[in-house]
Amino acid sequence: MVVLRVIFRQFDRATLIAFACIVVILLIGALAEPAFLSSDYLLQQLHVAAFLGVSATGVMLVILLGHIDLSIPWTIAVGGMMATGAAGILGPELGVVLAIPFGILCGAAIGAINGLGVAYLRAPAMIFTLGMNAVAQGLMVYHTGGFAPQDRATPFMRELTVGHLVPGLPNPLLIWIVLGGATMFMLNRTTLGRQIYAIGNQERAVFLSGVDTRRVIMICFVISGACAAATGVLLAGWANRSYQAMGDPYLLPTIAAIILGGTNVLGGRGKYTGTVAGVILITILQSMLSVVQPQRYFAQLGLDIPADTFRQVVFGLVIVAMLLLYGRQKALR
Amino acid sequence: MSGITKHYGGVRALENVHFEANRGTIHALLGENGAGKSTLIKVLSGVVQPDSGTIELDGQAVEFANPTEANDAGIACIFQELSLLPDLTVADNIGITRPPKRFGLIDYRAQRRLAEEALARVGGEGIHPSTTVRELSLSRRQMVEIAKALARNPKILILDEATSALTAADVEKVFVMLHKLREEGMAIIYISHRMHEIAELADVCTVYRNGQKVETFKAGTKSDNAIVEMMIGREYESVFPPKTDKKLEAAPALKVRGFSWQNELDGIDLDIRPGEIVGLGGLDGQGQRQLLLGLFGTLIGATGSVEIDGKPVKLSSPKRAKSDEIGMALIPEDRKNEGLMLPMTVRENLSFASIEQISRAGVVNLKAEEAAIDEMIDLLKIRSDGIDGPVGALSGGNQQKVVIGKWLMTRPRIILLNDPTRGIDVGTKQEIYQLLQRLASEGAAILFYSTDYDELIGCCDRVLVMYGGTIVRTLAGDQLTETNLVSAALNLPAGTDETALAARAREVAT
Repeated sequence: MVVLRVIFRQFDRATLIAFACIVVILLIGALAEPAFLSSDYLLQQLHVAAFLGVSATGVMLVILLGHIDLSIPWTIAVGGMMATGAAGILGPELGVVLAIPFGILCGAAIGAINGLGVAYLRAPAMIFTLGMNAVAQGLMVYHTGGFAPQDRATPFMRELTVGHLVPGLPNPLLIWIVLGGATMFMLNRTTLGRQIYAIGNQERAVFLSGVDTRRVIMICFVISGACAAATGVLLAGWANRSYQAMGDPYLLPTIAAIILGGTNVLGGRGKYTGTVAGVILITILQSMLSVVQPQRYFAQLGLDIPADTFRQVVFGLVIVAMLLLYGRQKALR
Repeated sequence: MSGITKHYGGVRALENVHFEANRGTIHALLGENGAGKSTLIKVLSGVVQPDSGTIELDGQAVEFANPTEANDAGIACIFQELSLLPDLTVADNIGITRPPKRFGLIDYRAQRRLAEEALARVGGEGIHPSTTVRELSLSRRQMVEIAKALARNPKILILDEATSALTAADVEKVFVMLHKLREEGMAIIYISHRMHEIAELADVCTVYRNGQKVETFKAGTKSDNAIVEMMIGREYESVFPPKTDKKLEAAPALKVRGFSWQNELDGIDLDIRPGEIVGLGGLDGQGQRQLLLGLFGTLIGATGSVEIDGKPVKLSSPKRAKSDEIGMALIPEDRKNEGLMLPMTVRENLSFASIEQISRAGVVNLKAEEAAIDEMIDLLKIRSDGIDGPVGALSGGNQQKVVIGKWLMTRPRIILLNDPTRGIDVGTKQEIYQLLQRLASEGAAILFYSTDYDELIGCCDRVLVMYGGTIVRTLAGDQLTETNLVSAALNLPAGTDETALAARAREVAT
């Protein structure tokens, strides 16, 4: 009974709506193409969703605090490019072994600078992290411009994204499940989790309750940077190489997934299960739009839109529409 | 207004209240916080809608869906909290709800004239219409606020503790203005906690208690004591529990020497022994709050030495102050912003300060947490029907109990309280007084700032009166009287007579 209650508490209204939306989208897709309901397709979607899931995990913590991390795109790129380039930087032997920790460490360093700026220098997170995004971009351009860097993924990185440690379960999905489980435990059962939610609700009260709020903010930004870099490592393994703009398509989906999952943009409220639902929802939506190719119907009407443009517009519109549907703040009275 | 009823959630704010205000009279509303005065005013000015009941204006039934409609009907309200926009000019603020227009644009010249007229009417000719509000002092701002209300030519003017920020000289001016408006036939509704203001100003008084009307009577027909008893519904003396007679020979739990901070605290020395309740008195804003915050480690650059149980310590942060070694707790004054996370549950709030004590390696022991919370809810008699709901849904008194409970769960040895009874009902106040005595008898050292002199006299073993950032006098035993408190607060020698006090009060205020 207690276990049931604990599980039940993880599903708030927004989470349930998000899961319902997933089912609706799948059914609509199945009308056009019955293969959408096959277990192969669904597993493949979860595999792809894991990349977004890992980056959303870190950003969610920052949003729960009432801050935001806009340095995601280029932190992802830093993670991927530093992991693949580690051999060139650390030497061929060490670089291969330490490729993944090095990539994640670089992301965590960006997160640490973000945390330093937001928590200790009290800079607004929105502009500070955006600035760090530009700094990371500049550094990566410098990294590729000065000499020809190694951009191939190491065999282990490759294995990490395409292999199956547990039969039938792609490795990235396994990583996301472990990371997500740990995050849920942290948010629900630890003092750090309590403090994260509390800071999002009323930072002054938390400080006056004898909590080192700056340390908590710092920790969350470091986790956010590390998670983004981990996404970059996985993506580099997936594509077998790293490249400059590899993180660019991830900013909107990451934040949208968190908000669609019911996390309050102003902080203090939100369940990790909601973020899981939001991530899956966004991944399936993107996949549907590229497979079903709805723009063909418009082409029949004489309206010729390039597939890419159409996908972008519809994706943006659907996210905005879903936010209007249920993501709005309750009117304050 | 007749038969007005309003509930907030399960809490009754007003029950079947009738109220009449006549043209050309000043009607004073009296009652404790939470008695329903403010709710009545909010209903009248359209801020909230009543659950039932009707409002008639000049014999015609009206309904206000929002404050703008009430405004248009001729009801102007001045609240205690200012509604001015600090970065706009005085004239902009006065004209903000209905600026004079020309060709669809704001006519600045007409707006300025309007502002000048309105300011002249309240006796604020000295305020220039094109200064920004931010540059004005608090009492000047309050004058602008009143001018803003008058610029709409209301039929009914409501002042909800509008004079609490004014200096004595400005209060005089406002009173002259209110008398003039009364002659002009305006109906004025006046809420204030200052009894002498009401005696000077009001024609008719109505007392409220617990959302119901107690009595309406002509001003001057009842004594102050009779009115206070009507407000609280029992004799006032019985509010405070008896002070326990204790021998205080133990070494001080908290010993502070030469505590200074910027220009606001200057060389504070104090000793508090275990079991002692020490009060901080004085006029508002003489450094009492800074002293409490400073002791709790929130003021950067505070100097002086602090000893806990004879051992020198450095108070560098609230985290440090809370640690086992020091064992300090601060009940902050602003419970909504500094004490509680309003949207979080009562349980989460209660255990928040002591969460480290019931965790191992950062993982919360849920069973121990629940047991500790239940114990605290019993001790404080917190209404138990909402403990899994947000703390923001509780009444002010219960919220304050949660703030206190949150800190008691850390088992503090030194408890600092910053005006803990502000804005809560007498019943809860009494429970808090009893709790303080009990904590003291269990050996806690308590430092207690209050703006309420009766509270200091009724609760404290000793009162340190502050003036200009220093402690000017310590009162204890028989010396602890209201006259002495007031004279010390104004930094006058003991035994000053009443007329000298009044003169000095005026001097300090201006």
